[in-house]
Amino acid sequence: MCDYKGRLVAWLDGELPADEVTNVDWHVARCEECQRAVSAYEEISASFLDCYEASMIRAPRRSRLVWAPILGVAAAAAVILAVVLLRPSPMERLTLNPPPASPAPAIAFEKTPVAVTTVHTRHRTAARHVAQSPAWKPAEPLVEIAIPADAMFPPGAVPAGFSYITEVSFAPDGSQAVRVWP
Amino acid sequence: MSGDSVPFALPLARFGISDREADTLFRELRKPLLRYLVCLGLSHDEAQDVVQDAFLSLHRHVSSGGSAENTRAWLYRVAHNQARNRQASYDRRFSTPLDDGVDAPLDEATPEQAILEKEKFRRLGNAIRTLAAPERECLLLRASGLRYREIGEVLGIATSTVADIVDRAIKKLAEKCNV
Repeated sequence: MCDYKGRLVAWLDGELPADEVTNVDWHVARCEECQRAVSAYEEISASFLDCYEASMIRAPRRSRLVWAPILGVAAAAAVILAVVLLRPSPMERLTLNPPPASPAPAIAFEKTPVAVTTVHTRHRTAARHVAQSPAWKPAEPLVEIAIPADAMFPPGAVPAGFSYITEVSFAPDGSQAVRVWP
Repeated sequence: MSGDSVPFALPLARFGISDREADTLFRELRKPLLRYLVCLGLSHDEAQDVVQDAFLSLHRHVSSGGSAENTRAWLYRVAHNQARNRQASYDRRFSTPLDDGVDAPLDEATPEQAILEKEKFRRLGNAIRTLAAPERECLLLRASGLRYREIGEVLGIATSTVADIVDRAIKKLAEKCNV
């Protein structure tokens, strides 16, 4: 192996002391082995530089969305927490104001009102339950109000998957009757 | 930080460096620094953070009366050390810089040339992975345009050692790639 080979890379890079440069110049011009080596070093340096330049094109971008799932979960938790905390307690909603002591009607009825107004609370499976109950006489109610079970009863009072129909009747004297149909 | 403007006023004027020169310094060195850090294995965003930190460190360094000479090597050294401090990602990815997925510029290449070029880069990528960390670092800094003396300053080694490492690394690559 040629003794000059150990200095060729530094020579190519212009890193040799000035007094050595002339010597290596002279040698390389006459040594085929060193000329081949210089050619190879130049080629590999150029390829490395191409790779280096290309590296910015394929630079991995750390996604700033790394936090997105965490933030999403946090937001969802905040919403759930807000709903739970701000929701009025079931007992609050169960409070019924007593009917006023027969105040003078503000509106005069042209016809005699129906004696009893029926309020049905229906769940999705209400029709099936109605059909199974012989005592139930389906009649088109005047007013239907859908109330979630957890608004009527304390949490846990109604088993999961349990459906029912509540019939609330108001008598002319203001008294109420509540019936629950499973 | 997406632009090339200096994110702060470097107090270099009292050291003979004008604001324009400071701006030029940032514009000239930002991208090469980013490229070097990405090749070390940092993500683009991590590299952005490190570059900004490096310039802030330069700001503090000069403010406290430090030398404003050879700022290029100084910035590379700071950036290099900060990259090393991010040891987790550094270790995780340092073994695969400049390897998979490197596509040579093939704008006007025929399909056959494209295949040959791709194969050449694949071999080079494999060869780079066999290099020791100092060899890779020296070649990356050399590709960044740093002189051997500056590379020595960045890595904290002698200039003659840099010459030996670069020589050894180039010969390894040439041998592995059958050049």
